[in-house]
Amino acid sequence: MKQLVAFIQKEWLEQIRSGKLFMVVIIFTLFGIMNPAMAKLTPWMMEIASESLADSGIVVTEITVDAMTSWTQYYKNITMPLIVFLLMFSGILTVEYQKKTLINMVTKGLSRWKIILSKTSTLLLLWTLVYWLHYGVTYGYNAYFWDNGIAKNIGFAAFCIYILGVWLLSLVLFVSVLASSSAGVLLGTAAVFGICYFIGMLTKIKEYLPTQLMNAGELLGGIGNIDGYYWAIVVCMVWAVLNIGGAVLLFNRKNF
Amino acid sequence: MDILTLDKVSKSFGAKRILNEISFSVPQGSIFGFIGQNGAGKTTTMKMILGLLKKDQGEIYVAGEKVSFGQNVTNQYIGYLPDVPEFYEYMTPFEYLILCGKITGMSKNVAAERAKELLEKVGLLGEKRRIRGFSRGMKQRLGVAQALMNRPKLLICDEPTSALDPLGRKELLDILVQAKKETTILFSTHILSDVERICDQIAFLHGGELVLQGNLEEIKSKHVSNDLEIEFQNRNDMQEFLAQYEDGEEFSSMGVRYEAKTEKEMLCMMQYMWERNICPQKIERLEASLEDLFMEVVGR
Repeated sequence: MKQLVAFIQKEWLEQIRSGKLFMVVIIFTLFGIMNPAMAKLTPWMMEIASESLADSGIVVTEITVDAMTSWTQYYKNITMPLIVFLLMFSGILTVEYQKKTLINMVTKGLSRWKIILSKTSTLLLLWTLVYWLHYGVTYGYNAYFWDNGIAKNIGFAAFCIYILGVWLLSLVLFVSVLASSSAGVLLGTAAVFGICYFIGMLTKIKEYLPTQLMNAGELLGGIGNIDGYYWAIVVCMVWAVLNIGGAVLLFNRKNF
Repeated sequence: MDILTLDKVSKSFGAKRILNEISFSVPQGSIFGFIGQNGAGKTTTMKMILGLLKKDQGEIYVAGEKVSFGQNVTNQYIGYLPDVPEFYEYMTPFEYLILCGKITGMSKNVAAERAKELLEKVGLLGEKRRIRGFSRGMKQRLGVAQALMNRPKLLICDEPTSALDPLGRKELLDILVQAKKETTILFSTHILSDVERICDQIAFLHGGELVLQGNLEEIKSKHVSNDLEIEFQNRNDMQEFLAQYEDGEEFSSMGVRYEAKTEKEMLCMMQYMWERNICPQKIERLEASLEDLFMEVVGR
């Protein structure tokens, strides 16, 4: 337990001193502000664009914005902070292989599963912190300017995206055990995500695939039912546990 | 008692056989020089001892316990200093040693005490900078400190001096000699002068096999050389000597190197000089150097 706590503390010290924690908090806060800001600025932007649009025969009438406009922006933009997060933390294990910093730890008797568990808990906690911060900022601004009551299943839809992120992070950790660079990790993660996405487009098992959770934003407008997301959540969580378990097994057999 | 034993250990990478059933033991309290050319398999052997690399066959025992690949039980007895030690560079040396102490199961207070003691020993006490700003020599000294943190029974050093300048090398070797008081050292290197300076036991690794191993002094005495270096007082004496001993090789204006076949031949040679009233400035019997031994065992 002492080893695990010490290594987790090291992980957090690294995130703080490397500036990554600060950066990711700033980025997710800015993305959180961006959604209501975009909604708030939409009438003004449309007014500016109205003259040129009028030349092409499009008449801009009065535009009303509400919390729904902001939430639409939220689900339209959510992939951006998610990708930034994956880019920033894709090297969480591979950088240690490249710099050979884990050798001193392992040769001191640090169990390999504790390394995976430390990395997992750090990533999970970071993701939880910044994702709900991002959600909270958008929710807060929306509540201040408009009324969040207009959108349905706000919390559940946000939870779906959160779970999608958890699944992707577990995938990053699993691929990190196999790959030797962060580019390899990103490529592997993107490949699995892409395969899920295409299978979902071509077959009827869409609602069992993690990529189904990307559509959770539709729930806000009353499209679909939350029942259609339960299986995807279960699959994501089981898959995430398997990813971490698999990462531990493979990491135990990894040559340094 | 032996702290480390390798029993018929083999390792191949693809079709290339790196180690072929090598066996050796490291006696407790010794500095064991593990010598071999670059690529001979020294690092591979060390990684297998540390459980970082899977062996193909054979057994390795540390302090009597079997080493298993991927497991860390035997690493509690070991301190490891890689050739180029890498650290978490955003930490100070003190913070890094505290982390190492905690990983080895120490409480924070005990780790702090030990860290101070070791930082003083390696000349880094009071260094407040983060490791990022350290020179290679400072990193190597910190490497020794982290390797000794858990008071290991066996300190494994993988070519620790190969990347250092002469001053850094001297400092590190001095630290290792000091460390011998509390641990056994397995010292891998291809720098033979370092081995001669600090090691008492050696093993030569060549072509995947151990071609020579044992006590350094005993090995050197078994391979004693009959080479003589004779310095004459004038060139005439030297010419007269060379007229009789044509195999002699001039190495300076008044110096000759000569290999006597037997000790009797040496005595005859001295008698010859006495009879001709040749009084040399100096006669020195050359000791076999580790380099000579190395060249001999690798067949060059």
